[in-house]
Amino acid sequence: MLSKILPEKIFNIIDKKVNLKAVNEIRFRADKPIVICVSGKNYFLNENGITSSGASCLYASKIAIEDIIFRASECSIYSVNEQIKKGYIVTENGIRIGIGGNVVEENGQVKTMTNFSSCNIRLPHNVRNCSLCAFPFIVNENVIENTLIISPPGCGKTTFLRDFVAQLSERKLSFNVLILDERGELDCKLDSNFYDKIAFSSKKMGFENGIRALSPDLIVTDEVGQEEDIDAILYASTCGVKVLASTHADSMETFCKKPLFQKLIKEKVFKRYVLLSKRNGPGTFEGVYNENFARMSSKY
Amino acid sequence: MRYVLIVVLFCVCVFVGYYYFSKFDKRKKFFSAIIMLAEKLSVEINFSRERLKVLIENFDPVTKKNLLGIDEGFISYLDKKTELNEKEIFKKATCLKQDEKDFVLLFLKTLGRSDVENQTKEIQNFVKRFTDIKGTCDVEHKKYGTLSLKLSIIAGLFFAILLI
Repeated sequence: MLSKILPEKIFNIIDKKVNLKAVNEIRFRADKPIVICVSGKNYFLNENGITSSGASCLYASKIAIEDIIFRASECSIYSVNEQIKKGYIVTENGIRIGIGGNVVEENGQVKTMTNFSSCNIRLPHNVRNCSLCAFPFIVNENVIENTLIISPPGCGKTTFLRDFVAQLSERKLSFNVLILDERGELDCKLDSNFYDKIAFSSKKMGFENGIRALSPDLIVTDEVGQEEDIDAILYASTCGVKVLASTHADSMETFCKKPLFQKLIKEKVFKRYVLLSKRNGPGTFEGVYNENFARMSSKY
Repeated sequence: MRYVLIVVLFCVCVFVGYYYFSKFDKRKKFFSAIIMLAEKLSVEINFSRERLKVLIENFDPVTKKNLLGIDEGFISYLDKKTELNEKEIFKKATCLKQDEKDFVLLFLKTLGRSDVENQTKEIQNFVKRFTDIKGTCDVEHKKYGTLSLKLSIIAGLFFAILLI
């Protein structure tokens, strides 16, 4: 899929001279050097692969950025306009392309984005067993605890969620899992036999419809960040459905200060918190905490 | 021997006339087909928001034949196999004039580049222009296409009479 999105020259360099499995992100900014994030570290891209110095690096043009976005939409921008309004496109293979440009508003509503000036291609990875450090604390004697994965962006929250669902299936723990995938990237390459999926729906709608129609044991969802997401989680917890979700914060202290989560913290809805970071590369496991924020596991 | 020569000469004259006739006929049918394609795209983009490739592939196969291969060239571009240029797109469309080729190419270049509302407006503008071109093609077809066929038959008969 990446070969269809990227300009041929750039793809050939990345394909032949960079370890594609270790690439996390590729950033294109108009008239600026192309930045490639490999194993959590940023490099510039040049004809010979990656370099730390800016000399002889390759630059991204505005036309190239527009072409990447055009190709990512399968040459049909109109078909992904709802995603573009939110600032990204997700391809069939779960590659998420964040878009920078001008937002066109009409009557207070975002109509579309134009004049694309940057894009960030995030490549999904399946890191087998990456959730195992936290797994015994979340699943105990066939009971799953409500769990929130906390980390800054790009630290492997989605990869963790994906692996966790795969682990449930691998251990023949046949929980009915509902993947609520607002952005269409969660179930990419997901190896599990026990999951249903509701994609491109808001959390509120997805939780309500999913619980009614699919009667899940566990709802897995990414990036909780709005008031209505909190209400949806509270609704699920009152229905006896477990939730595995993720959110952005760089530490437990920062998370505890977030006004949005105060209700959930007070009511102790989440029984486990898993903290991830980039300290030793994306997905570094920092620890598991209980509902009282007491550490349950040590750092790796 | 003389009668064989008469028949051959007559056939050659009619063939030349038919060649010019079919050239005008192909242009006329091409613009009818591209108008139908544009209108289908306009409706489907509004209704199903399906990808361009799927919409073009699902276009009526009978009408598609009149597109002179530009649909194949465009799909090849969508698949990133070829460039979107005159050489690749109009391989089989030799009957089109240069300004018509430029205009069709411009139409293809605007496809898939904007949101539903703007894309529909753009397509409708192109449909209007294509309709004008088709009108011209109809006139030219009647005027020159039919005329060249008639003239060729007359010329064939003239040579036949001359030889007899």
